[in-house]
Amino acid sequence: MPRRIQVLPDTLANQIAAGEVVERPASVVKELVENALDAAATRVEVVIRNGGKTEIRVSDDGYGMGREDALLALDRHATSKISSEDDLRAVRTFGFRGEALPSIGSVSRLTLETAESGGVGNRVRVSGGRIMGAEDCARQPGTTVLVRSLFFNVPARAKFLKSAAVETRAIADVMTSLALANLSAAFRLESNGRTLMELPATRDLPSRAADLWGDEFAGALIPVDHRVDGIEIAGLVDRPDAAVSGPRRVHLFIAGRPFRDRSLVAAAERGYRTTVPRGAKPSLLLYLDVPDGRVDVNVHPAKAEVRFGDPAGVEAAIEAAIHSALSGVDSAATLDRRPPPPQIRTPARESGSDRGPGTGRPGRPAAEARRTPEGQLAFFVAAAPDREPAEDGTVPDAAEQAGIEADNRYSLWQVHDSYIIAETRSGMLIIDQHSAHERILFEALMRDFDAGGRPSQRLLFPVTLRLSPGEYAVVEQTQSLLAMAGFEAEPFGGRTVIIHAAPNPHPWFDAERCLREMVAELAEGSELTRAARTQYERLAMTFACKAAIKAGQRLSVEERQRLFDELFATELPYHDVHGRPTIVRLSLDELERRFGRHG
Amino acid sequence: MRFTITRENLQQGLAAVGASIPTRTTLPVLSNILIEAGEDGVQMSGTDLDIAVTLRVPAEVEEPGAITVPAKKLQELARELPEAPARVTTTGERFELTCGKATFRLNGMPRDEFPTFPEVDFASSWRVSGELMGRMIERTSFAVSTEESRPILNGVLWQLGDREMRMVATNGHRLAKLTIPSDGANAPNADLIVPPKALAQVQRLFDPEDEIEVARSENHLGFRKDGTRVYTRLIEGPYPNYEQVIPKDNDRIAIADKETLTRSLRRMAVVASDQTHRVRLAFVGTALRLSVETPDLGDAHEEIEVDYQGDALDIGFNANYLLEVLRYMPSDEVKLSFKAPERAATVEPTEASEGAYLCLIMPLRLLE
Repeated sequence: MPRRIQVLPDTLANQIAAGEVVERPASVVKELVENALDAAATRVEVVIRNGGKTEIRVSDDGYGMGREDALLALDRHATSKISSEDDLRAVRTFGFRGEALPSIGSVSRLTLETAESGGVGNRVRVSGGRIMGAEDCARQPGTTVLVRSLFFNVPARAKFLKSAAVETRAIADVMTSLALANLSAAFRLESNGRTLMELPATRDLPSRAADLWGDEFAGALIPVDHRVDGIEIAGLVDRPDAAVSGPRRVHLFIAGRPFRDRSLVAAAERGYRTTVPRGAKPSLLLYLDVPDGRVDVNVHPAKAEVRFGDPAGVEAAIEAAIHSALSGVDSAATLDRRPPPPQIRTPARESGSDRGPGTGRPGRPAAEARRTPEGQLAFFVAAAPDREPAEDGTVPDAAEQAGIEADNRYSLWQVHDSYIIAETRSGMLIIDQHSAHERILFEALMRDFDAGGRPSQRLLFPVTLRLSPGEYAVVEQTQSLLAMAGFEAEPFGGRTVIIHAAPNPHPWFDAERCLREMVAELAEGSELTRAARTQYERLAMTFACKAAIKAGQRLSVEERQRLFDELFATELPYHDVHGRPTIVRLSLDELERRFGRHG
Repeated sequence: MRFTITRENLQQGLAAVGASIPTRTTLPVLSNILIEAGEDGVQMSGTDLDIAVTLRVPAEVEEPGAITVPAKKLQELARELPEAPARVTTTGERFELTCGKATFRLNGMPRDEFPTFPEVDFASSWRVSGELMGRMIERTSFAVSTEESRPILNGVLWQLGDREMRMVATNGHRLAKLTIPSDGANAPNADLIVPPKALAQVQRLFDPEDEIEVARSENHLGFRKDGTRVYTRLIEGPYPNYEQVIPKDNDRIAIADKETLTRSLRRMAVVASDQTHRVRLAFVGTALRLSVETPDLGDAHEEIEVDYQGDALDIGFNANYLLEVLRYMPSDEVKLSFKAPERAATVEPTEASEGAYLCLIMPLRLLE
């Protein structure tokens, strides 16, 4: 009887593995560039033809390999990156399965040229998984992998490849992602003789973002920097007023490795809530680090997804990180045509003297993490100088962080009875009094909800409201919530409601009109009420919107100051509850430009 | 028009009328002051269409006439004049002022463009003392509403009766009422709702010793004494039935030292919420415990001694409303009366000094 079960020959096993790892030219580029970065390359060049279907060449100036290593590298599960199970849990390099090179080699005609520093060059040729030859060659230290005729021996796979343009775009996306994770390496992408990407090595994320997408995009990004419970989050995200226009970019990294996670993107969007209109899609470049052992990156062969030990904790951290980024003056809308790039502080780096295999080199966040206690994020740490404690050690309050000098704090101008202008160190702030008061009232009511409600002013002359059936139903349903918000509204039958007590947020407050408008909006629904997450939030948003001081209300000097102080005591002073700005900045630089003084 | 006036008289007239001239207006002539020279001197007038003020100052008039000139500029000019009589002449719409060796010409506007003053017939006027008027205004007008949806509450109710007159003001949260005996000579029985801005002008322009003549037309009220006159539009009623909401059966009574209570409330107000200004008052025996609790900020407690009769009571108020009312109480001790935590409280002076003064404050609902 012939044996039915047999061990697969290696070439076939590699072809099957290739099905998981090598899906398309972009996955080849990803694996090879990651290998180059793991070999501590400072410059990685990718040259493709016909969307990578005809040819992919990835060259680096990394460590390179000797002859034996070069041959071994083409063997499955051969890797320099891990050697034990413990290493797997604390993995800090891009690749570690030892699958990539043999997998690629099994579905293409592959030439590997590599040389170690001071060593001789080696060339190994592989075709369809068979080593066709190995010889000496002349070359600089580093490695070049040339992949030709991808999937020549897997016609089914070749048939599923998309057009050259689509594959090229996929390769550019992969390169973008890797470039964002590896700032200190230079990248170049060439397609059919045309340069698509030329990124010099840099020290900070804003410059890389500017090189990738232009100064305008980079100028609308604000820094994120947050640590909680061992989770570190840093990066750049869209300023809320910029989140509504332009294409969206989302790049998430964990320990320097790109990954996808819809629920984290959703968490970041939750962090934006109330600061952007509903449905706005902000760009996110976020770098996470979690303590070793609290993330499993070995879930997906292409490592596109990771599994967190405590996903809810990570989501909460992301939301908080965004929220805190949006509380700073950087997040305020600006009139500047060319806002300065976000301020990023780069800590002093160690010298490269201890570079060697396994530790990577300074400048590569993933490798850096092994040595510095702050972790990779120290590299991206964003701290505008305004946020740092003053020289005398006092912690500045929000207004000081916004650049308002103590002396100017109380010279606030009101224009058109609608806007308040304040001078700052670097320009001026224009505050919309209605939006500002909305933010104040919203946060105050949310706090009062947390505290179980707020006291309400009883009225000498109760107010009677006649409502539509829908509005009457809203009052009946939300009666207890309204009471917590300060409205003691008693349904009286016949669609009539009697208000016995009302909030008293400012001297021009019209309780009757406020409640009438609130109830109408709650009954009909609106963008605002749909944006709310809870009943409480919905009511607080509607109340804030209807009760806030209106545009056109003259404010005394004291009233302006109070509004100003209360605004800067809120969590998100720069954003109202509709996703509109409360404050627009205008810098002195911009003014000078407009008056032709410079630039 | 031609007249000579001392610098002081010019300044005095301009200062008195200037306050009634609006700073921003859609009708350019309203930012002007009307100057009329006649046999009795020079009359200066200003108006914002709701309120008009006229004042007469002595001057040597050589040729009667009238013109309107920008009030602000003339006022600034008068302040800077050298100490010498000013001589004013007009040529057409040109206003010329010579003082010492300085000459100023301002472009004016003809008198016809200036709004005519309301017709109030002083033939059927009644009289009220400047002192009484001032006291009533001071003690009540602070309580008017600033919210504009109910214009009636933006005015002070002035009720004239046979034996007494009364002013009442409220914003729906607190109310002030002062009733003063009056012989009612000639006074009609009437409910007049007067804008507080006009009352402020009355308070400012008439002296306590003045016997002010008051007269009304359908929609206006006029006050006059010699050459000084204030006219105002009346707010159309009816005023809400305030008597109905003033409690008659408040049976928990506290007598407190006004100064002690005021000082304690001011301290509490520092820690009170920016939004509600809530302070909690707990009366037990002879103790009044004041406290505030503000989430995220902190709390404060103080006990003061009061003379309290009634069951123990826990009640909340907007500290600002209490402080305001206490400020206008004319006696050293005040009487506070309560019924229940959700019912109106009253504050009265302990000594009745010419008239009955009562303030009412609606409590803040306390959370359980």
